[in-house]
Amino acid sequence: MQSRMVELETRNQDPQGDHGPQERNYILSLHDVLMKKSILNYNGGCVVAMKGKNCVAIACDLRFGVQAQTISTDFKRVFELGPHLYIGLPGLATDTQTVLQRLQFRIKMYEMREGRRLKPHTLMAMMQNLLYERRFGPYFVEPVIAGLDPNTKEPYICALDLIGCACEPADFVVSGTCSESLYGMCETTWQEDMEPEDLFECISQSLVNAFDRDALSGWGAVVHIIEQDKVTTRTLKCRQD
Amino acid sequence: MALESLHGVERYQHKWNEVQEEAALPEIGNFTNQYQLMMPPLPKAECQVGEYLVDETGRKMKLNYAHGTTTLGFKFKGGAVLAVDSRATSGQYIGSGNVRKIIEISPYLLGTMAGGAADCTYWNRVLAKQCRIYELRNRERISVAAASKLLANMVYQYKGYGLSMGVMVAGWDKKGAGLYYVDSDGNRMPGNVFSVGSGSLYAYGVLDSGYRWDMTDEEAYELGRRAIYHATHRDAYSGGIVRVYHIKEGGWVRISEQDSKDLHYAYAEGKTTTQ
Amino acid sequence: MVEENERPQAGFQFSNFGRNEALVARGFQMPKCRKTGTTIAGIVFKDGVVLGADTRATEGDIVADKNCCKIHYLQPNMYCCGAGTAADLEMTTQMMASQLELHRLNTGRQVPVIAANTMLKQMLFRYQGYVGAALVLGGVDKYGSHIYSIHPHGSTDRLPYTTMGSGSLAAMSVFEARWKPNMELDEAKQLVRDAIAGGVFNDLGSGSNIDLCVITKDGATMTRPYDVANVKGQRVGKYEYKRGVTEVLNTVVRPIEIVSETVKVVSEEDMDTA
Repeated sequence: MQSRMVELETRNQDPQGDHGPQERNYILSLHDVLMKKSILNYNGGCVVAMKGKNCVAIACDLRFGVQAQTISTDFKRVFELGPHLYIGLPGLATDTQTVLQRLQFRIKMYEMREGRRLKPHTLMAMMQNLLYERRFGPYFVEPVIAGLDPNTKEPYICALDLIGCACEPADFVVSGTCSESLYGMCETTWQEDMEPEDLFECISQSLVNAFDRDALSGWGAVVHIIEQDKVTTRTLKCRQD
Repeated sequence: MALESLHGVERYQHKWNEVQEEAALPEIGNFTNQYQLMMPPLPKAECQVGEYLVDETGRKMKLNYAHGTTTLGFKFKGGAVLAVDSRATSGQYIGSGNVRKIIEISPYLLGTMAGGAADCTYWNRVLAKQCRIYELRNRERISVAAASKLLANMVYQYKGYGLSMGVMVAGWDKKGAGLYYVDSDGNRMPGNVFSVGSGSLYAYGVLDSGYRWDMTDEEAYELGRRAIYHATHRDAYSGGIVRVYHIKEGGWVRISEQDSKDLHYAYAEGKTTTQ
Repeated sequence: MVEENERPQAGFQFSNFGRNEALVARGFQMPKCRKTGTTIAGIVFKDGVVLGADTRATEGDIVADKNCCKIHYLQPNMYCCGAGTAADLEMTTQMMASQLELHRLNTGRQVPVIAANTMLKQMLFRYQGYVGAALVLGGVDKYGSHIYSIHPHGSTDRLPYTTMGSGSLAAMSVFEARWKPNMELDEAKQLVRDAIAGGVFNDLGSGSNIDLCVITKDGATMTRPYDVANVKGQRVGKYEYKRGVTEVLNTVVRPIEIVSETVKVVSEEDMDTA
């Protein structure tokens, strides 16, 4: 009996095995590629963030749809949480809004209690707690955080999955319905130590060219370039189909 | 054989042999006879091709290919207009942005594509061949009614086997402009205004509000173009280039091919016609 | 009322569970979360233990993180490698680290490795395998050097050498061939490096670098990365966009003005933890 249990467990730790309550399929089949019917793709949308030299950029598309139908082309999924602190919440739109409101509440409580500004890294920890609390009934959002540390002015980016596993790479993070295309664009166009102007071109072109290959995102884009002394927000001219 | 009894394919073994013998015969197979598609060696009742394939996790795979399209066609005083988008998708991924969804069957006949791209191109090509043969045999052009019926009969042979197409056949014959809708379920119907595809509802909205029989040619082009543009804007699976064709007495004419991005910003500036 | 809902409560929240199950019933697949389709390993050598891990995190067939850290801190004398659902590993080890620290402060002595093992297995057993964490726990205490493997359902083994994750077979084959009692440090490090490299090269779920953590009675040293198994080639050309190629509809610049700045010099004094 003991050995049988262990055998089951070894299967469990295998990435191809079933892990926990949700039936998950880790072998990507033709079926998954063609018929991807995930609730994360229900409303469409994507977010990307990049590090530059003493600056960070975060950008999102503007589509709010219900599967094939485009409802609105003015739906921002990147939000300002502080002078140098932004969060992108792509995923199911209802959860985008719920998570944002819950987060804003927690941030206000934090800043009142502590009497100081929230650091991007602290926001990440807060987000981890908020999402992991619902480990077994998650919100369908995959957040992206971008900001400058209020003390050191260090650029910071991070991406979390829907149950709050953070990843803090040195270059860029992507999330949303066209993340595969975004990975491809960012891997080729991102360079170290880009100036804000170059960072803008890089993130904008990566985003626009990635979502132009995706049916469920696009219809406009907003790009924030966050520097120490200013934040520049640009709306891009995009395809509307 | 042990393996046979294990996966239970044994009872169809004799049929496999038949099929393989048939395939060896030169006159069988769709190279010489385009109506003869290779079928799995199963009785038709069990051969639900649409459900038959199974992916590696054992789930049934639906062969339901990209339906994302907007196509439209209408007849009016000056003939018939066809307008289409140019996006090809597999799932949410945009495979191509400049597909030709109007198939030029003959100088007097056009077909549109919606549904499975391979199904549409294949059967439209077979139709083109048949129309040409008809012309050579009978020393006159085939009527739109006859051409559309040929197509309908061809795809009806494969009803239930998983073909997926919604086609408009438009052309000019002795009776003037003709417009027929044919699909893989076996429907075939004549009409004045049709739109097919995932964006067709949006296109119908524009079409129905602007359609009149006595439009000028220019008005008709602009109506078709605008209907497709609005569909590309609202429907995630339609987009790319808006192509407009006009069918009149001398045959079909390609009117315009415009990027829907340019159309969007032109319409946004308040231009009512983009020609 | 609002605050009532928002005040962090103990344990997991299940308020979305019903909704999400209803969505699954309607044919929406549950989204994938980040996993560490991993190779992790640990061995006992003469003076302590060596833990090793690869650095790849995956989301389906996408490499989500090329250089993630899978060797988690628990105590100064104790580290823990994790395989499975990334968020579960991160949160489980963080929670355990704080619990062990409280335990250390309460008892006023170094926490023995077996205590961490027991606490981890009790927690994982309670969650019936739903918290998907497969761990290799390693540490040195006054009783000696210990490696434990802890499975998601809560069963544990105390072993001289062990591996976990999707690359565990590749790594174990290296240990089976070459592990022996009372190995020297350099030999032990090389062995763990080779075992992880076996996973990196032969398992698709593992990849990138090799991290090592050596724990002896004098403390722990993390080497990250210990070895870059896959050195990325130098790119010859550059894909750069000229400034001004992106079409912009409108621009808003908001300067961040600093109204006042106070710099307070903090004296070098230890925090009062009494």
